[in-house]
Amino acid sequence: MAGISQFVIQSTIRSGLYALVAIGFTLIFGVGGVLNLAHGASIVLGAYGVYLATTVLGLTTGVGFVVGLLLPAAFSGLLYLGIIKRFDHEPIMVMILTLVTSIAVELLVLNTAGSQPVAIPQFVPGNVTLGGTNVQYNLLAVFVLSWLIIVGLFLFVNYTKTGKAILAVSMSDKGASLVGIDSDRINLITWIIAGVLAGIAGIALGSQLGATFSMGRTPLILSFSIVVLGGIGSIRGSVVGAYIIGFIEVGFVQFISNDLTGIAPLLVLVGVLLVKPEGLFGRELAE
Amino acid sequence: MTDKVTDSVETGGDDHSVSRRQAIAAAGTAGAVGLAGCSGDGSEGSSSDVADPLSERDEVRIGVLAPVPSENPIGASIANGAQLAVDQINEEGGVGGAELSLVVKDTKEEPQTGSTRYGELIRNEEVDLTTGVFTSEVLLAILDDIAGSETPHMTAGAASPEASAKVSESYDKYKYHFRTGPINAHHLGVNLVDFVEAKADALGWESVAVLIEDYKWTEPVSAALDEQLSETNVEIAMTNRYPSGTEDFNPIYNEVEESGADAAFISMAHTGTAAVIQWAKQQRPFEFGGIHVPMQLPSYYDAVKGACAYGVTQNSATPTAEVTEKTTAFADAYSEAFDSYPVYTGYIAYDAVNQFAEVISDSDDVAADAVVDGLEGSSYRGTTGTIEYYGPDSEFAHDVKYGQDTVWPVYQQWQPDDPENPQAGGTQEVIFPEDLSTAEYQTPPWI
Repeated sequence: MAGISQFVIQSTIRSGLYALVAIGFTLIFGVGGVLNLAHGASIVLGAYGVYLATTVLGLTTGVGFVVGLLLPAAFSGLLYLGIIKRFDHEPIMVMILTLVTSIAVELLVLNTAGSQPVAIPQFVPGNVTLGGTNVQYNLLAVFVLSWLIIVGLFLFVNYTKTGKAILAVSMSDKGASLVGIDSDRINLITWIIAGVLAGIAGIALGSQLGATFSMGRTPLILSFSIVVLGGIGSIRGSVVGAYIIGFIEVGFVQFISNDLTGIAPLLVLVGVLLVKPEGLFGRELAE
Repeated sequence: MTDKVTDSVETGGDDHSVSRRQAIAAAGTAGAVGLAGCSGDGSEGSSSDVADPLSERDEVRIGVLAPVPSENPIGASIANGAQLAVDQINEEGGVGGAELSLVVKDTKEEPQTGSTRYGELIRNEEVDLTTGVFTSEVLLAILDDIAGSETPHMTAGAASPEASAKVSESYDKYKYHFRTGPINAHHLGVNLVDFVEAKADALGWESVAVLIEDYKWTEPVSAALDEQLSETNVEIAMTNRYPSGTEDFNPIYNEVEESGADAAFISMAHTGTAAVIQWAKQQRPFEFGGIHVPMQLPSYYDAVKGACAYGVTQNSATPTAEVTEKTTAFADAYSEAFDSYPVYTGYIAYDAVNQFAEVISDSDDVAADAVVDGLEGSSYRGTTGTIEYYGPDSEFAHDVKYGQDTVWPVYQQWQPDDPENPQAGGTQEVIFPEDLSTAEYQTPPWI
C-alpha cells in the first residue's frame, strides 16, 4: 500500500515538473510551427543564471531567481530576432540553427563554469512526510508552481488580447495578418514566454538535481515525447502528456528496475508515432 | 598558483655533458616509438647496469606528468607538490651537491597525449625520474613506454592495480614502475571495510546501502567490498553499481530509503558532486560516506555552497591531520607558496620526489637499476605515512604498502563551521583513525 501511495505522489510531483519543461517547447511549435532545439539551452541558462547571480556575484536568492528568468528570456528573444525570424518558413533551417546555438551555449557554460555540477538554491528547503512517503517541500513548490503557470497560461491565451492573437497566429499566420495581427511581434512574445518557462524549469531542475552544462538534454528529449504524445502544439495535450509520461516513468523505475530510468519516454515516443501519430489532442502531424 | 608551474617548465637543457645519459635517452626513444615489446625483457648490456654516480652530476632532472595543471586542482597539486619538494631540497644545497630541476607536462587526462608527453620528457628533457600521472588510463598507456625507456617512474595519483600486476608478471620489463600513492584500488576497497569494521558502532551504522559508480577504477573496490564487507557485523541492505554518467539520483535514493539503510556507503568520483548535492538538498534520511573524490578537495565546501556538509570521505591527508610529523608542515608550506591547500596528489608527489632524493643520496647512484634497488629497499617517512613498496613477488609489486604502520588513509567529515548557517563555511575534520581524529563524527541534523 505504501508502494502505491509513494508511486502516486512521486508520479504526480514529477509530472508537474515535466509539464513545466514541455509547455514552452509546445508553445513555440504551436505558434511558429518550428521545433526549438535550443529549448534545452534555455533550461541551462535558467539554472546558471541563478548560479551566476547567487554564487559568482553573491546576490540574494530572490535576485538570483529573477536573473534565472531574465537570462533565458533574453536569450530566447534574441535568438528569435537575430536568427529565427529570417527563416520563417524553413523549419529544417530553424532546427539546424537552434541545434547549433544550443551546442554553443552548452560549450560556453562548460568552458566558463566547468563540467562539475553546481548547487543552486531551492525554492523551499526541507522535507515533509505525505502518505508515508518522504517528500521535499521544494518538489511540492515546483508542483504548485507548475499548476499556477498552466492555469495562468490558459487564462492568458483565452482571455487577453495578446493571448487571443497568439491563438490566432497558431491557427493561421496568414489569416491573423489579414485581421491586422503582427505575427512577428506575436512570435517574439511567444519565444520570450517560452524562454521564461524554460528558465523556471531550469531552476526547478537545478535546485533538485544540481545544474550542469548538459542538464538541458534530457528535458529536450522528454519534451519531444510529451509533445508528440499530447499532440504537437496543444498545451492541454502537453499537460496530459506530461502526466502520462511522468506516471509511466516512475512506474517503470519503481516497479520494474532502476536501470530503465529515462527509457520510458523514448518508448512512448516511438509507440505514439507508430500507433497514433497525431497524438491525443493534436491534428498537425496527421494532416 | 599557476605561475610557479609555468616557471618550472624548462626547455631542453644543453648543459649535459654526460654521454651515458644520452645513451639512456636513446634507449628511451626506441622504447617510446614502439620497440618496447621486443626490447623490454633482455636488459643485459643495457646502459642502466652501469653506475651513474651522483657525485659526478651537477643536475638531476625530474619529469612530471599532471592533468591540466593550470586549472585542475588535482593536476596543480601534483605539479606544485613536486615543485615544492624540489625547491626545498635545492635550498638545502641539493642532493649530494647536484641541483634538482623539474619539467612539468600536461597529460590532459588523455592516454595518447600522456604517452606523447612522456616521450618528450625522456627524449628532449632527458629526465632521470618521472612522477605524477593521475588517470589510470594514462598510466596504463605509458607503462610500455616506461619499460622501453628504462627510467624509474613513481606514480602519484592513479590507483589501478593493473600497473602493479604487470610489474609482478614481467618484473624485468616493468620494474621501473612504482606507485607512491595512493594505495591501489584493491586496498581502497579493503580500507573501506576496515573503516566500517572499526567505526560502524560509533557512527550508528547497522546497515548500509552500497552505491558504487560504474567506472574502471571502482572495479577492484567493488570486488574487495563484495568479498569482505559481508564478513563485518554491518548488514548490507542493498548494493547498486549504478551506470556511469548518472545525473538523477532520485530513483537510487528512493531505493536506499526503502531498504532502510542507515547510510549510503559510496565510491564516487565522476558522479560524486551530483550525488552529494542531491543527497543534501533533498535531506535524504540516511548518512553518506565512503570514498568521494571531489570531497577530498580542500576548496570543495565553498564550490558546492556547503552541500557536502556531514559527508564523509577517505583521504590521503587533510591540511590539519598530523598523519606524520611532516604532513601539516607540508600543507602549510604549500599554502604559503601557492595560496591554496593541496589535494591528496600534492602530498604524494611531494613524497615521491623526496623519497627519490633520499634514495639517490644514499646510494650515490642515479642509474635506473640503482634507483629501482634503492626504492625497493627504502622505508621513507613522508607526509602520507611510511612509504615502502611491495616486493617483486607480491601480486601488488611496487605498490605502496597498505597498513597501519605504512600508509593508512584518514577519514574526514566536512563539518559546517556554523551549523545554523552551513553555507558559510566548513572544515575537513578527521574522524578516523582515532589517534589522528580532530573531531567527533556528527550525524546530519535532519536525520
